[in-house]
Amino acid sequence: MPTPESHEVTQLLLAWSAGDRAALDRLIPLVHAELHTLAKRFMRRERAGHTLQTTALINEAYMRLIDAQEVRWQNRAHFFAIAARLMRQILVDFARERGYQKRGGAARRVELDEALVVSPGRNEDLVALDEALNALAEVDARKSRVVELRFFGGLNLEETAEALKISPDTVRRDWRLAKSWLLRRLSEGGQDEA
Amino acid sequence: MKPENWEQVERLYHDALERESESRAAFLDEASEGNEELRREVAALLAYDEKAASFIEAPALDVAAKALASDPKAAEQLESLVASVVAHQIGTYRLLSTLGAGGMGEVHLAFDTRLERKVALKLLSVDLTTDDERVRRFRQEALTASALNHPNIITVYEIGEWEDRAFIATEYVEGVTLRTRMRGRRLPLTGAVDIALQIAGALAAAHRHGIVHRDIKPENVMVRPDGLVKVLDFGIAKYAESARTRESKQSWIRTETGVVMGTTAYMSPEQARGQEVDARTDIWSLGVILYEMVTRRLPFAGKTPTDRVAAILEREPEPISKLRRGIPAELERIVNRALAKNRNERYAQAADLAADLRKLRAALGEERPPRFALPVPARILPALSRPRATVALAALSLMIIALTVAGLVYSRRDTGSTAVNSLAILPLVNVSGSAETEYLSDGITESLINDLSQLSSLRVLARSTVFRYKGRDADPLKVGRELGVEAVLTGRVEQRGDTLVVQADLVKVVDGSQLWGGRFNRRQSDVLAVQEEVSREIAGKLRPRLSGEEQRRLTKHHTENAEAYQLYLNGRFYWEKRTPEGLNRAIEYFREAIARDPNYALAYAGLADSYALLGVFHLPPGETFPKAREAALNALRIDDTLAEAHAALGHIKQQYEYDWAGAEREYKRAIELNPNYANAHHFYALYLTMMGRFDEGLAEIRRAQELEPFSLFIHANVGAVLSQARGYDEAISHLKKVLEMNPNFDHARSLLGFAYRQKGMYEEAISEYKKRAVPVSGGSGGELGLAYALSGRRNEALKELDKLQELSKQRYVAPYNRAIIYAGLGDKDNALQWLERAYEDRSTRLVWIRLDPGLDKLRSEPRFAELLRRMNLTA
Repeated sequence: MPTPESHEVTQLLLAWSAGDRAALDRLIPLVHAELHTLAKRFMRRERAGHTLQTTALINEAYMRLIDAQEVRWQNRAHFFAIAARLMRQILVDFARERGYQKRGGAARRVELDEALVVSPGRNEDLVALDEALNALAEVDARKSRVVELRFFGGLNLEETAEALKISPDTVRRDWRLAKSWLLRRLSEGGQDEA
Repeated sequence: MKPENWEQVERLYHDALERESESRAAFLDEASEGNEELRREVAALLAYDEKAASFIEAPALDVAAKALASDPKAAEQLESLVASVVAHQIGTYRLLSTLGAGGMGEVHLAFDTRLERKVALKLLSVDLTTDDERVRRFRQEALTASALNHPNIITVYEIGEWEDRAFIATEYVEGVTLRTRMRGRRLPLTGAVDIALQIAGALAAAHRHGIVHRDIKPENVMVRPDGLVKVLDFGIAKYAESARTRESKQSWIRTETGVVMGTTAYMSPEQARGQEVDARTDIWSLGVILYEMVTRRLPFAGKTPTDRVAAILEREPEPISKLRRGIPAELERIVNRALAKNRNERYAQAADLAADLRKLRAALGEERPPRFALPVPARILPALSRPRATVALAALSLMIIALTVAGLVYSRRDTGSTAVNSLAILPLVNVSGSAETEYLSDGITESLINDLSQLSSLRVLARSTVFRYKGRDADPLKVGRELGVEAVLTGRVEQRGDTLVVQADLVKVVDGSQLWGGRFNRRQSDVLAVQEEVSREIAGKLRPRLSGEEQRRLTKHHTENAEAYQLYLNGRFYWEKRTPEGLNRAIEYFREAIARDPNYALAYAGLADSYALLGVFHLPPGETFPKAREAALNALRIDDTLAEAHAALGHIKQQYEYDWAGAEREYKRAIELNPNYANAHHFYALYLTMMGRFDEGLAEIRRAQELEPFSLFIHANVGAVLSQARGYDEAISHLKKVLEMNPNFDHARSLLGFAYRQKGMYEEAISEYKKRAVPVSGGSGGELGLAYALSGRRNEALKELDKLQELSKQRYVAPYNRAIIYAGLGDKDNALQWLERAYEDRSTRLVWIRLDPGLDKLRSEPRFAELLRRMNLTA
């Protein structure tokens, strides 16, 4: 069911896709607030034994915020792009926060490893991934965006393609190379310590 | 950075994936057409392709939720974290709420997550990315005005860009705009004059530095509940104006947009005509404001902007005495003079206007004392004006409290049982209830927190935490328990006539016992004279209890700008980390400190040290050392007696210029200037060791350690000096102790490996090198290879060479690393060739060439002797 602000969100989204940058700035807090509420609810549900799905969550945010008939699919992709950026921020902040708490203030990284499923024997984590993603953005910004949309935004190939205005095949190729690149960086270490 | 061959890498990668995995290698060999670098890069990526198949396939939030399903506490934390990120974040600023919107963009209340404070964040609707010259001038003016550090000018923390939008972060003023204030209860005459006086003071200070505001209006003036006034947006008006003119090409008065309309009422005749303006335009605008505050009407009204402009140019305003009863003739005269249409008839300087207002204010009597009205006449900077004295007084009490608490913490630590490791400083209570002392009591509290936070062994709760208790009259012991600290500092500030009394008590939470109490009673007239004397005396008393470095931080102030000082301390904190991220952040902090106070020599010295260490550890020295040298010379130009700057220069002369005599001269001078500066002893110790003067080196590094017992690097480098002096066993036991406390400290690991290697214990050395968190780094990647080579594991040594080759595609790898592996392998030609490249790069480890046992096999080579000669060294 659309919320009272849904008309506003719809208008902002349309304005933004039409090239109005200022609309995005007003859009983001609305989306963020909604995501935050939903994420909290999903967390509770998860703890109660239900399954959580990022796309479901963002879809729900979308349904609540948007007057769907007015918005074309492409705008929907835009919406997901914002949501992905925000999810990344929320989760990485969280992982970082957790890391600090666990190790009593030292800047150690948190391990959210199990389900991340990386090469056996190594514990990767969101903070490191976030940093690696920033590094990837310097090499190839588009690939970094693809990972953000897919991993943090839960978008599928087609949705990612829409959001970035590239072909699904390009997304597939970007995704594959990006994953290898990231895993290599995470495995071989990206920092000096002298 | 995008590798040059990235497109090729990408193409080959996908082409290879289309082939069966067995045939990929052959395909690559062929398709890379002899480009070895390309082949390796693609092969490395392909190697991860299979492993990456399931990597990050499940969306992040699902992963997090699953991981947290079994951990309710963590899930709660995620909830609260999500809640704390209420709105989106701009850089390090988290938006909390919107304060308002104006022509230049919207303003938000935001939280600076890095420095933990509230800020006002203005997002500009104008584009700062174009036209460098204008942007530069805008930044310069905004920052210069802010750097005046005037109480009535808002402090600008940062001007930056986020996602192509410019923003300005400023001090957050808890108050209302003068516009809002004027809409409320009518201002008493004294109140109106107080406000005008403070604005005049801000203008006088800015004008003295050649900055004209150009857009003085009630929306740009904040008034705090205690009466303190802050003028906003210096530098912005001019910038916006030129942006508008560029857009419309027309005279901007006629532009019928809300942006300009709001401003026309305060515009001077010369502005309205589109003429060049000077400081006197601000005086006019202030005249309009004063008129409006007193009469609640605009002097030049009109229904449309055009009407208003006509009034400004042609009509005389109705005399204020006709609009409000009881107007002193002097006030009318002041308003009329400020509003003279011919600017030559106006006040020539804001300082003159301020002087008249001040006299008037005195004549109006003490209905309320003039608060915070601090304009200083342009030509005289009185050594002992009242507010300056008060501030100095506050600073003095503050220093005494900080030093005493620090002393206690340390002395207690020595005895062990009553150590204080954590402390909450509760907001000092303002007993007199006057707004001025309120400002002081908060200021003292805040500075105490800042100062004491610098003690590395003491946990001091952040301002945001303790200020929740302000005005709550809570039981300190209860608060202490709530906050989980061992001790609580409470205090009160009272002004009695011209005397300021500060009382402070340090209480232990567990049993309520008083650890220390002090009362500071200073007359304002003699405070500046005694300040130095007293602080020296107290510092002297505490010296044995304080480590030298921390004492220095508490006593020596090289800037009057508290903001700059804080930024400097942050810079040093990150500098200590030595990582690329840490050093880059340090550079940012030092640069920000310099922006706050362009004459802050210490910040330049910090900048020099940061660039130097980037070159020592991470980047090509040729990129960083020239910057380091420039910064060090800047520091010395500002203050030739600054120990930090001399030490920094010495380090540069040693590492980069091979000017050995010069380096020693600088170190000696630094130590002479400040015998307590630990880093001078530290750098000098390494220098002496390098020169083979081991005993002196050992004495210096020990001295550095005494002065700064918490520096990991100094601690570890004691081991380095011991090793070079061939005291391997002692070095090994020392470094093991360092590593017991900090197992992830790679630098100590490398040094331990070195000591083992020297003893011929290659397996132990190899194992230490491999335990490093970053086993192969650009700065010290060759050691493992050398150990392999020396232990006869030739293939593994060659593999290390390959790894360095790989690594060098991603980052700078000092050529010295490859030189020592080749030397270890007995490949003299390659070793000398890489040493030659190391010399070209000024590889910083090359300075150890005379001692490095890894190079022993080369010493008989004439080319080696030649290299030594070029480095001004003898064999």
